[in-house]
Amino acid sequence: MEKINRFLERVGRGVGGVVGALFEAGRESTEQILRNIIPFMAFIAMVIGIINASGIGDIIAQWLAPLAGTLPGLVVMSLIVALPVLSPLLGPGAVIAAVVGTLLGVEIGRGTIPPQFSLPALFAINPQVGCDFIPVGLALGEAEPETVEIGVPAVLFSRMITGPLAVIIAWLASFGLYTG
Amino acid sequence: MEALAAAAEAFIGLFIAGGEVFAGLVTGIVPLLIVLMTAINALIALIGPERIDRVAEAAAGTKWYHYPLRYIVLPFLAVFFLTNPMAYTLGRFLPERFKPAFYDSAVSYVHPPLGLFPHINPAEIFVWLGIAEGIRTLGLPLGDLAIRYALVGLVVIFIRGIVTEIMSGIMWARAEAAEAEAAEEGGA
Repeated sequence: MEKINRFLERVGRGVGGVVGALFEAGRESTEQILRNIIPFMAFIAMVIGIINASGIGDIIAQWLAPLAGTLPGLVVMSLIVALPVLSPLLGPGAVIAAVVGTLLGVEIGRGTIPPQFSLPALFAINPQVGCDFIPVGLALGEAEPETVEIGVPAVLFSRMITGPLAVIIAWLASFGLYTG
Repeated sequence: MEALAAAAEAFIGLFIAGGEVFAGLVTGIVPLLIVLMTAINALIALIGPERIDRVAEAAAGTKWYHYPLRYIVLPFLAVFFLTNPMAYTLGRFLPERFKPAFYDSAVSYVHPPLGLFPHINPAEIFVWLGIAEGIRTLGLPLGDLAIRYALVGLVVIFIRGIVTEIMSGIMWARAEAAEAEAAEEGGA
């Protein structure tokens, strides 16, 4: 009888652990959705709604389409965003990347920008990723102050090369995307 | 009076359009995100994220195979298991001279996998979703774009890691030279 009891207890504890982990995972994901994703969705939906219903979309299309609908245009865009004086300012929360991405998404949806440009565009809007966060990111990796001093300019200058390069690689990888 | 009514209608029209977009996002993407993120969060909790510490320790060398390990495998595992911003804590297992390059490589991979693994950086999902919405509006499938974004991202972070490692090497040499010069001048 005691053996059975002990066995049941062990099974119960094991199942409880797994169910607990699953429940915790569900709580975590719904919290993330409510706290981070839905508020941003509200903001983005408002932007898209205003662009589509007001006719601002046509104006944006006029200057954005030649920039985002060609490879040289996207490379220029990534170069501007990767400038070491601009990139740390454009980084925080990836809000700029998200808003520019949404504008491009609207134009892709309207057919002004061909859909195969979506892949290089994803890299063109984002060469500044994490440029605002370098000292904190390095501190999280327990870096010495001297490493931070070297690391900040090293990352910023490296982005001037790798930002546009990423757009070109993505453009090469976009062959056959949404054209078949 | 009529003009006023028309103006009011146009004004409300802006937000009716926005509301439709919002409803589309909430019914189209949120249910998938909730279930997918729950599954992956549970998986991570059951595997135990501390296991990838060992990969980080193994990625510190200078042989050729350490490079893809440090700038492809480790950043991927870091963002997948630890997510943004805890992923960068894995830098503590690397020597100082690789830390900026590892950070650059890891931080550049918090967006490319978002089409497949939104749990990595849910707060910044619109970096991916903004453009993806355009593709969805056209009625095209998103899988192809999501997978290419994630794969090209791996190539990009590999290059970024190597370029930043070289760049920080140059700057370190320069800083040391300047320091030596200053010491010499101070001595004379």
